[in-house]
Amino acid sequence: MDYFKQTLKTDCEDLLGRFQATASVRFEEFSAIWREMKFSSVFYGILEPSEKKVFTRLALSTASPYLLPPYSFQIRVGGLYLLYSLYSTQLNTPKERIRIALKDWDDLIHFQQDAVNAQHYDVVYVLRKLLYEKAFCFTAMPDTLSFQVKKKRVDRRQQLCESFVDRPSRPQELIGTDVLEELANVHEHYEGLKKAILPQPPQSNLSLIKHNLVPKLRNSVLTFYSWQQNQADFDSQIDRDAGEGTSSQDESSRRAQLLASIKSRSYAQAVEASKSRRHRQMEVTSAARDTESTQQVSRFKRPLSLKARTNSRFMAQGSQNAELQSITRLWRLTEVEGKKTEGKTKTRFSWKERMRSKH
Amino acid sequence: MAEGGGTNVLNENVPVYEHVEVNSKPFHLDSFRDLWLSVLKPEDYSFNQTSGEIEDAQFIEEMGITPETLEELKTICSPDSLRCHSEDEAPDPDVVPADPQLATLKLRKRRLDYKKTLIRDNVGRHDAYANEMEMLSLGRRAEDASDTVPEGEIVLTFNVIYPVLFERFKHVRAYQTLHVLGSQKLTELRDAICCVSDLQVFGEFSNTPDMVPQFISKDHYKSAFFFFEGIFYNDMRFPECRDISSVTREWTKSRDFPEFKTAKMEEATFSDLRVKVGFPYLYCHQGDCEHVLILTDVRLIHKDDCLDRKLYPLLSHKHRVVTRKCCVCHLYISRWITTNDTLAPMDPCLYCDQCFRLLHYDQHGNKLGDFQAYAYVDPGAFN
Ligand SMILES: [Zn+2]
Ligand SMILES: [Zn+2]
Repeated sequence: MDYFKQTLKTDCEDLLGRFQATASVRFEEFSAIWREMKFSSVFYGILEPSEKKVFTRLALSTASPYLLPPYSFQIRVGGLYLLYSLYSTQLNTPKERIRIALKDWDDLIHFQQDAVNAQHYDVVYVLRKLLYEKAFCFTAMPDTLSFQVKKKRVDRRQQLCESFVDRPSRPQELIGTDVLEELANVHEHYEGLKKAILPQPPQSNLSLIKHNLVPKLRNSVLTFYSWQQNQADFDSQIDRDAGEGTSSQDESSRRAQLLASIKSRSYAQAVEASKSRRHRQMEVTSAARDTESTQQVSRFKRPLSLKARTNSRFMAQGSQNAELQSITRLWRLTEVEGKKTEGKTKTRFSWKERMRSKH
Repeated sequence: MAEGGGTNVLNENVPVYEHVEVNSKPFHLDSFRDLWLSVLKPEDYSFNQTSGEIEDAQFIEEMGITPETLEELKTICSPDSLRCHSEDEAPDPDVVPADPQLATLKLRKRRLDYKKTLIRDNVGRHDAYANEMEMLSLGRRAEDASDTVPEGEIVLTFNVIYPVLFERFKHVRAYQTLHVLGSQKLTELRDAICCVSDLQVFGEFSNTPDMVPQFISKDHYKSAFFFFEGIFYNDMRFPECRDISSVTREWTKSRDFPEFKTAKMEEATFSDLRVKVGFPYLYCHQGDCEHVLILTDVRLIHKDDCLDRKLYPLLSHKHRVVTRKCCVCHLYISRWITTNDTLAPMDPCLYCDQCFRLLHYDQHGNKLGDFQAYAYVDPGAFN
């Protein structure tokens, strides 16, 4: 059955890639793609009940990683919808469950909190529905393990789908406490060896590496992190300032407007009107029209700077909820960074090409 | 959903990979269970369903939305929205749709088309049915409520791999899969592992084929041990049990090994263990019959699992061994194995009981010719 692993991954990434292109986190968008791809039929054509179960397990385990970091918030939403859809459309009775490992639970809770704070009701609803239906299996490890050492090498080569990954926290991820500790140990060992070789204190011609390498590296990352924070705070400061003029609006309509603003702007897309949200539709479309229509044109010419985009997106809305803003901050960074990385991978590619042509 | 603040990833009992996708670091199973229970709400792992109204009311309350918005969400997120065909033309789920777009379906179609070209289509049928046992026990409830597994119990899955008995089959890693509960004793797993070497009868019986004793090795040699993370768990339930790990431990003392400990198998429950998931451990019985044992999964029990604790350890997979047939009739499973047998086409040679007697003894039961005969237990006897 393992031979389906790669094709399942291809299909999932195809679906999530299309979802990513919609720049939305709405379930409607997701289900439309699901229907278009006729994804339910992935379970068709298996006769043996036991084979059905094994295949469903494989499908769920292939989709599970997209629910977790390091994937971007939007991909994680897509991953959640994908798991929910696979779980709901499977042909087994009783249903095969979605495995969640204890170590990943925290991430899922934070994800849910982010979705609650940003009032992405459909995301929260789907997650809660899965829990309510007891669709999760609370496990020790993400997959069952049987010490398959050889299999691992093949799988790991093409594990992470880079275009789905959030970039802003990469330096922090790369230079974590573990790495710093390890580096400090190596450094200490190195200094010790130098001392052992030379009777007197190390001379300058042996000081090839800065003696305070580890703290320096740590500081650099911290500096970068606080720059990121400041940048984001600065952006939301602007939002707050801009919001003061419209404080006469009542709380509920402001919330509605804010929600609409997130929906329409953080993903550069107007919310689709649907039955009971029609009362909000007016605000959304009108608000979207005035700035978006002019912006839409220039958007494709040259990406505006993060600050400029944040300004233009949130200033006009008059939103005051700073806390809510801080949640969306990550996505805004993501979007900008995402564009940068696309460029980066291209250069890396051409560099490789160049290397190859040299040989 | 409970808040997840309690799970500290630095806690050594939160299982993490030691080698990615191969095995986890060791953790204490009972602490692992406690950690899960501390981050979950009781209704998350309960066997009962919360009422839909309560769940709805909570959602409305916590999200600060109107009942109308919830109704709308239910419609939008309904599984009906995932239906890929119009309501009146439901496709046959047993058939791969014509002209599939998904890579998975294309591959399945290719494989099915190829299978059709094969004449022997029942190849590997045994494997296909192997998991069926699992379904028999799904959702089983205990007849007596006191036998119901408690909510929040952990279930462990072990693959018990058979030793390589025949050189010919060394590439097939035959195993059986057993599920045990955290509260069960290690001895309960030991008693559930079936292995032919427990059924062997020792001795040569060519002169007295009717006198083969009913005693099998299991009754004679009761010592056995599990080896987990540096500890030998010896079965010491019976007076004749001996610590058969002592040979190994003595040997390691003269080598550069860390010190190994011993414990009693009958006193330890699985929850007491500190083990790695996915890592090979050992079960040894009959002196030298060694089985690699892999804990492939640990998880909280679910309402759809078998909830009758009396049915645990629960067998869910059993490799079907090809049975060896009698060399005369090629029909019945072998019961005898002979050596130095002038009547046999090969040495050693296998016979069913009837053919063995007809060929090797006259009407009065006198032994014909010179040979040695031993009782044979086929590895496929458990199929
Ligand atoms: Zn054995
Ligand atoms: Zn026969």
